[in-house]
Amino acid sequence: MRADGWLPEWARGLPWLPILVLLAVGVCALAGETIMPFDPNELDLGAAFVPPPWQEGGKTAYLLGADNLGRDILSRIMAGSRVSVIVAFYAILFSGSIGALIGMVAGYFGGPVDAVLMRLIEIQQSVPSIALALILAAALEPGLWTVVVVIVLTYWAWYARIIRGEIMALKGRDYIAFARVAGVSTPVIFLRHLLPNIFNTLVVLATLQVGQVILFEASLSFLGLGIQQPDISWGLMLSDARQYITNAWWAITMPGLAIMLTCLSANVFGDWLRDRLDPQLRQL
Amino acid sequence: MWRFLTRRAWQGAISILGASIIIFLISRLSGDPILILLPNDASQSLIEETRRTYGLDRPLWVQYGIWAQKALAGDFGRSYRWEMPALRLILERLPATIELAVFGLLFSVAIAVPVGVLSAVHRGGWIDRVGRVFAMLGQAMPTFWVGLLLILVFAIHLNWLPAFGHGTPAHVVLPAIALGWYPVAAQTRIVRSAMLDVLDSDHVRLSRALGTPERLIVWKYALRNAAVPLLTMLGVYFAAMLGGAFVVETIFAWPGVGRTVVEAVFSRDFPVVQAGVLFTSILFVLSNLLVDLSYGLVDPRIRDAR
Amino acid sequence: MVLAVENLQMHLHLKRGVLRAVDGISLAVGEGETLGLVGESGSGKTLTGLSLLRLLPKGSGRIVAGSIKLDGQELTTMSESAMARDIRGRRIAMIMQDPMTSLNPVFSIGDQVRNPLRNHDIARGAALRSAVVDVLTRVRIPSPSQRLGDYPHQFSGGQRQRIVAAMAIGCTPRLLVADEPTTALDVTIQVQIISLLRQIQSDTGAGIILITHDLGVAASLCRRIAVMYAGQIIETGPVRRIYRMPSHPYTQALLAAIPRLGDKRTRLQAIAGQPPSLIDPPSGCRFAARCPARMDKCAEAPPMVTLADGHSAACWKLA
Repeated sequence: MRADGWLPEWARGLPWLPILVLLAVGVCALAGETIMPFDPNELDLGAAFVPPPWQEGGKTAYLLGADNLGRDILSRIMAGSRVSVIVAFYAILFSGSIGALIGMVAGYFGGPVDAVLMRLIEIQQSVPSIALALILAAALEPGLWTVVVVIVLTYWAWYARIIRGEIMALKGRDYIAFARVAGVSTPVIFLRHLLPNIFNTLVVLATLQVGQVILFEASLSFLGLGIQQPDISWGLMLSDARQYITNAWWAITMPGLAIMLTCLSANVFGDWLRDRLDPQLRQL
Repeated sequence: MWRFLTRRAWQGAISILGASIIIFLISRLSGDPILILLPNDASQSLIEETRRTYGLDRPLWVQYGIWAQKALAGDFGRSYRWEMPALRLILERLPATIELAVFGLLFSVAIAVPVGVLSAVHRGGWIDRVGRVFAMLGQAMPTFWVGLLLILVFAIHLNWLPAFGHGTPAHVVLPAIALGWYPVAAQTRIVRSAMLDVLDSDHVRLSRALGTPERLIVWKYALRNAAVPLLTMLGVYFAAMLGGAFVVETIFAWPGVGRTVVEAVFSRDFPVVQAGVLFTSILFVLSNLLVDLSYGLVDPRIRDAR
Repeated sequence: MVLAVENLQMHLHLKRGVLRAVDGISLAVGEGETLGLVGESGSGKTLTGLSLLRLLPKGSGRIVAGSIKLDGQELTTMSESAMARDIRGRRIAMIMQDPMTSLNPVFSIGDQVRNPLRNHDIARGAALRSAVVDVLTRVRIPSPSQRLGDYPHQFSGGQRQRIVAAMAIGCTPRLLVADEPTTALDVTIQVQIISLLRQIQSDTGAGIILITHDLGVAASLCRRIAVMYAGQIIETGPVRRIYRMPSHPYTQALLAAIPRLGDKRTRLQAIAGQPPSLIDPPSGCRFAARCPARMDKCAEAPPMVTLADGHSAACWKLA
């Protein structure tokens, strides 16, 4: 394990396997079409319920088997990665920005502003996220952007709380006081002085959130509130496969494994990053 | 301590109030409810008239007031789909959800406590390492997938347990396992960490010095101390169970509030959705409040602190 | 002799090396006698006390040589389960330093005092309850029968120490090891605890080993003391004799360091230097590096020289 002595300091002890998995997912999301063995939407009823090659009746062409409509599961999994990546990207971007901003405002200004925002955070956290998702899905149309909106509305409070804590600790520092005395405007203080100091925390939080977002999107799509046909999502694949669970165990297992591996890799990578950048967050 | 609890109770009440506002507002997002109620070719005057009858011409906050007032009196409207008062429907299904949540919690604790204790006592041993790996895996598996796998293996392949329904003790096993699966990792960590602390403490050393058998030290004297942080967090985990119940009930056709709300969403049955989500939120807030209450119950030092 | 220790050596096997924490200790405690084990932090006195009960750090602590005889019975070769069943809490008991943390906060004191009595089968059922009340009365806890259900935090520090004492003497042990029992308490309570220990001794005839760094406490309770330095006993004898005529340079320095009323000096007299590392201790006298009376001969381990009846010290100057 200590053979990585030739690597630069920051790269040692990197969790290679998780990084590889995450890169694979990213590559599939960006350029999946070029590497997929089949067209994920191509029906071939003659190939319906083909099991994976190691089981009797399997064909090597369908590495992870085929579903009830003869579509190659491996290709569909690769296609599904795109949704996961897009949702993760936008959801984290928006919930992180909004949450961080609210946290900064609450932490910096304190007083009644903080009190109100804290109440808002508590209110948000009194509705279970799935319930919130359900009610939003009932009001809006289900779809990718509904999922993003739900995640943003669920997670901004998490960011806000933590960032608020950090800002409150930073607020007392001397250089902030100097900046105020020197007449620096508040937005500049936010940008120049506060933001760089919470940057590490934000990065760690974002990475830790990836796994959760993947699970959440899968759950919503599974329930039918997220990604809709004919778009492909791992959660949706599992929802379809549920109907013929007795005929094709691989249709239930493989997409689930994809979810698990991606989420696991994100978690392990997130933990590693946290330990390196901001170990105080360990109590999360 | 009572002053603290009253303050928390107030916060809880405000949270529920806020949640009700959110629920109300989001429901209204779906567009003009009138158009759902009336046929497409209704005349303009009929629309205006119905609007006035339902108070939908009033400002939003007045509408909320009307809704809230009715809700406090127990009137959540009538379910379009099930054709009964929404509140009664929800209250009928609530016990099943609570039952599932309780069993889910029991399952997770039943795994977390022994694994946590043994991991701490044999720190670095095989239980510790295997436990940590399983915990990592467990936290990466979506609850609904766990449920599906359980059905695949235990209901379909092995045919040991039923996959659907409610009624016998056997029916609750798979759903409870699926529900309780996710928090096992976090709970095990709490127990392990707390045990490591206690096993290092002066009173444990004194117990050992006075010849107390090790078995008794670990499972009685140390564990009760280590249980304090876990017990106080149980409220949080119960709340998490409530959230997970939505999905688990759907998979296992469990007759609880979760499945009802999911079905109501697809039928656009707003009275049921509103009532269901509101009651889940109330339970949610109460469970979190329980955390603060249980500190006093579980730790005799805090009980007596003024 | 209640306790006879001969050349006890206990080593700690650490990652950075083998620490010779207790390196050749010999001592004896008779019936109704109190022996003070005196020394600074790190001298090995606490570990000596723990070694008597074989309560060593799991895995790293090992008794490598020597014998410990309790009423003639050898303890170093006993099995762990026999130690727990017959010796600990039954024939040798221990009182620790900090009464605030020695008691389990989530169990009642009744339960905790009952525990050793039950584990060692001293009493059962109703007789057990009265035995608990009885021992709490002996340590002068007021209205014990009403307070059995109370928790440790409901008692003061001095009372908690007495409850710990009750747990220790419940099974009338032959030897009581008290590890700094008064250090965490204020002076007025200290006096109470010392008189309690004296009373226990006269009631039960148990021997007491008092581990302390406080020479005043040692003087008030002990008939004899053994002075430890760097894992070894360097002087032992009747407490009055040693205080009047300390013979080992270390003992002399210790006593000189105590400020006295009427002392005109404005600076405290400390002992220059540090104790040696016990991972690779010097082969000669361990105090030589700091000793004002150091000679060339001190590079060789000094013998224990008998100065008078029961008073001996390990120093070349006395040979």
